[in-house]
Amino acid sequence: MTDRIILNRRSFLKISATAAGGLLIATHFKTNVVSGDALETFTPNAFVRIDADDTITIWFKCSEIGQNVKTSMSVIIADELEANWNKVKVVQADLNPKLYGAQGSGGSDNITSQWEQLRQVGAMGREILIAAAAQTWSVPADNCVARNSEVIHQSSGRKLSYGALVGTAAKMPVPKTEPKLKDSKDFRLIGANLTGVDNLPIATGKPLFGIDVRVPGMLRASIERCPAFNGKVASVDSSKALAVPGVRNVIKIDGRDNPTEMMSGVAVVADSTWAAMKGREALSVTWDEGPVKSESTSGLLKQFRELSAKPGKVLRTSGDIDTAFNQSAKVLEAEYQAPFLAHVTMEPQNCVAHVHDGKCEIWGPLQSPGSARRLVSNMTEIPVENIHVHITRIGGGFGRRLMSDYAAEAAAVSRAVNAPVQVIWTREDDIQHDYYRPAGYHRVKAGLDQKGNISVWKHHLVNVSRNAYRKDPRPAELTEIYGLFTPKDSDLASNLEMDLVPVLIPNCRLEYTEVKTGIPTGAWRAPAHNVNAFVIETLLDELAHMARKDPVDLRLSILGDKVDFPFKPTADNPTPYNPSRMKAVLQLAAEKGGWGKTPPTGIGRGIAGHFTFSSYAAHVVDLSVDSKNNVKIHRVVSAVDTGITVSPSGIEAQTQSGIIDGISAAFWGGITVENGRVQESNFSDYRLMRIKEAPQIEVHILKNSERPSGEIALPPIAPAVANAIFAVTGKRIRQLPFRGAGFSM
Amino acid sequence: MPISLSINGQIHTVDGDPETPLLWVLRDDLNMTGTKFGCGIGMCGACTVHLDGQAKRSCITTVATASNKKITTIEGLSSDGSHIAQQAWIMVDVPQCGYCQAGQIMSAAALLGNKPNPTDDEIDEAMSGNLCRCGAYVRIRQAIRKAAEMRRNAK
Repeated sequence: MTDRIILNRRSFLKISATAAGGLLIATHFKTNVVSGDALETFTPNAFVRIDADDTITIWFKCSEIGQNVKTSMSVIIADELEANWNKVKVVQADLNPKLYGAQGSGGSDNITSQWEQLRQVGAMGREILIAAAAQTWSVPADNCVARNSEVIHQSSGRKLSYGALVGTAAKMPVPKTEPKLKDSKDFRLIGANLTGVDNLPIATGKPLFGIDVRVPGMLRASIERCPAFNGKVASVDSSKALAVPGVRNVIKIDGRDNPTEMMSGVAVVADSTWAAMKGREALSVTWDEGPVKSESTSGLLKQFRELSAKPGKVLRTSGDIDTAFNQSAKVLEAEYQAPFLAHVTMEPQNCVAHVHDGKCEIWGPLQSPGSARRLVSNMTEIPVENIHVHITRIGGGFGRRLMSDYAAEAAAVSRAVNAPVQVIWTREDDIQHDYYRPAGYHRVKAGLDQKGNISVWKHHLVNVSRNAYRKDPRPAELTEIYGLFTPKDSDLASNLEMDLVPVLIPNCRLEYTEVKTGIPTGAWRAPAHNVNAFVIETLLDELAHMARKDPVDLRLSILGDKVDFPFKPTADNPTPYNPSRMKAVLQLAAEKGGWGKTPPTGIGRGIAGHFTFSSYAAHVVDLSVDSKNNVKIHRVVSAVDTGITVSPSGIEAQTQSGIIDGISAAFWGGITVENGRVQESNFSDYRLMRIKEAPQIEVHILKNSERPSGEIALPPIAPAVANAIFAVTGKRIRQLPFRGAGFSM
Repeated sequence: MPISLSINGQIHTVDGDPETPLLWVLRDDLNMTGTKFGCGIGMCGACTVHLDGQAKRSCITTVATASNKKITTIEGLSSDGSHIAQQAWIMVDVPQCGYCQAGQIMSAAALLGNKPNPTDDEIDEAMSGNLCRCGAYVRIRQAIRKAAEMRRNAK
């Protein structure tokens, strides 16, 4: 698994007639690095079909998890195609990298990485249809325009619908030149207020999700896993389970060596989900618990704290921090802690697999369908070409569905019982056997010079590494420093993931220490950024108050007008950090959120901003705190810059989502481990925000012509809330969740 | 033992343990998958159905309890999306991942049945049993207000 999907393009077009007389447009792309399978070069990866009745079918090849890409990626194709959106039908594609190129979704970059490709698919179709109309009328093509699924001859006003042109278009020669993309001022669907393509089936309860898959003869399985992480099955007494009506089999599952691939467990297979769950309750399993049984989150925290005071691996150093601290007028030392977080996707993990006759068919909510196929192939020794993966709509991901362990489980159980099987996790399984956001600890020391400028910053991050957990040979810190580091160190090459701090501070040192653990870790929404932004943005606020400067002014002054900033767009990173865009969102949020005006009595106002995955967000939070430290958040005013706005409704929704999720995690998130076992079990003790706690949210989208991009809003919300709590109480919060610091909601 | 259930105006007879949660009978026996599994303990609301018009969590309602009630699921609210709550949900573009939304719509429909013009506090109170992990709460409020307005305007 990788966090990023990178595409480099060279493309050509193939057009053909469909059996029913329609027009099929296949665009060929050369693909280099993907999160899925190794690819052949020059294979088609995106399809549009236009039928004689004017219906336009767009195959959506990635994974819809709630981030709106099924709609917005199709909008991009349809806009360049000059399609009538009401006639567009979007269909989920199965996994077929030879046909579609990179599939799946991750790193919030579906739109960023595929912006040109998607536009080209549409533009090529438009040009072919125009050429077909021009030939039909024997007029020059440059006197014809396409609009709303029609080609119009401008001189005569004659019109032909796309449906009427497909027969001619399918016989047209392939253009020799690349299609001309539209000027952004001519976008009609990109930037328009369109709603989600699956809204009607969702609102009417149609089967869209993995858990809704039904296959003839399908059995259900519920799997008991070792309560202590990474434990193995020692022995099983299945007699009572087999006596439960409806239960058919009890299957021992050997976990994979790499625990991100599949955990050890005992599956109870039954005619119905309920029977499988009841059978599972009747199991008697003895576990070989292994070394994790002695681990606890309190023990880890103690280690973090101790190690943070010792030197770490130096990742970056500039200037002379010792001299700078000696010359500082004021010095601030602070320690921050962050817990493990569960993903708790609303749709529990599930997957259907049918292993038969040397083949395997899989249906599931898979964010990395290519990785799922490879994993099942490795496990079953069925070649990938004999494994057919159907991607379903996904009921939330937040990073959890980058893992494909539940697909491996379904295949393992299906193979054992020789029937199609649906594996369903319970909520307890999900909370107690997740791949958690890494817990960590930051020890930071910063100094102000005589003028109140930040002159020195020393930062030591100690945490458990998800890169290490997944047995990636690259450095442990690679996945943990997003938002902390800069691309100046070419060894780290993490140029997508840096933030300004502390690069613009003359004397700085960043250190990292990895703590080994058997507690599973994985990507959690805006990975690493989700903690690192909290540390940086609350510390900046603290330094501003120490320097008696306005927190916005302080940020703007360190951002400066860095036209010479070292980050230039490259093929791998087309959207590097641009401090002037960060400034713009801070200024817009400040203006719209009433920054600089005195808030009403009893209201604390806080601000924070952050750059995540090519996008910029800043939030201004208004809240009040009662005498028992209960917080009420009244309003969040948010400014976001995601480049060209493809879907205004989608960006607003994602911003609201990041804010709600970020506040929820900040107040309640946190997994406690004792004796290698997770103590939380369900929504009763793993709290999520409910509607009555949700603040009003006002989203302002910055308009510009930068390349469009994804996930943004979550990292800066927790620090904006903490800074607002300080503003009204004078108390600093340096730990997540806030309840550890005595604040609740 | 056979149990008779009145679901969306039709009588279904199912066989099995009367203590089985209605949720699993709907999803597995009757193949009505609109009603979702989220927590199994009545804490998230993804499985919300109506029993005699009131919102109930089908994951903690046994088929025995449901057998003498009129059950409505998302499939029965309207199959074409014509119920005002469904229309408002689509127009306001509420769904993100969409998984919890059938349950949200069922709770909203029950609320609108009891209180045609709910206040914001009444909306928050009635909808607080339904978790949305994507955090679509701002739009859920907006959609319920929209649905109430649509009904007012239709009169």
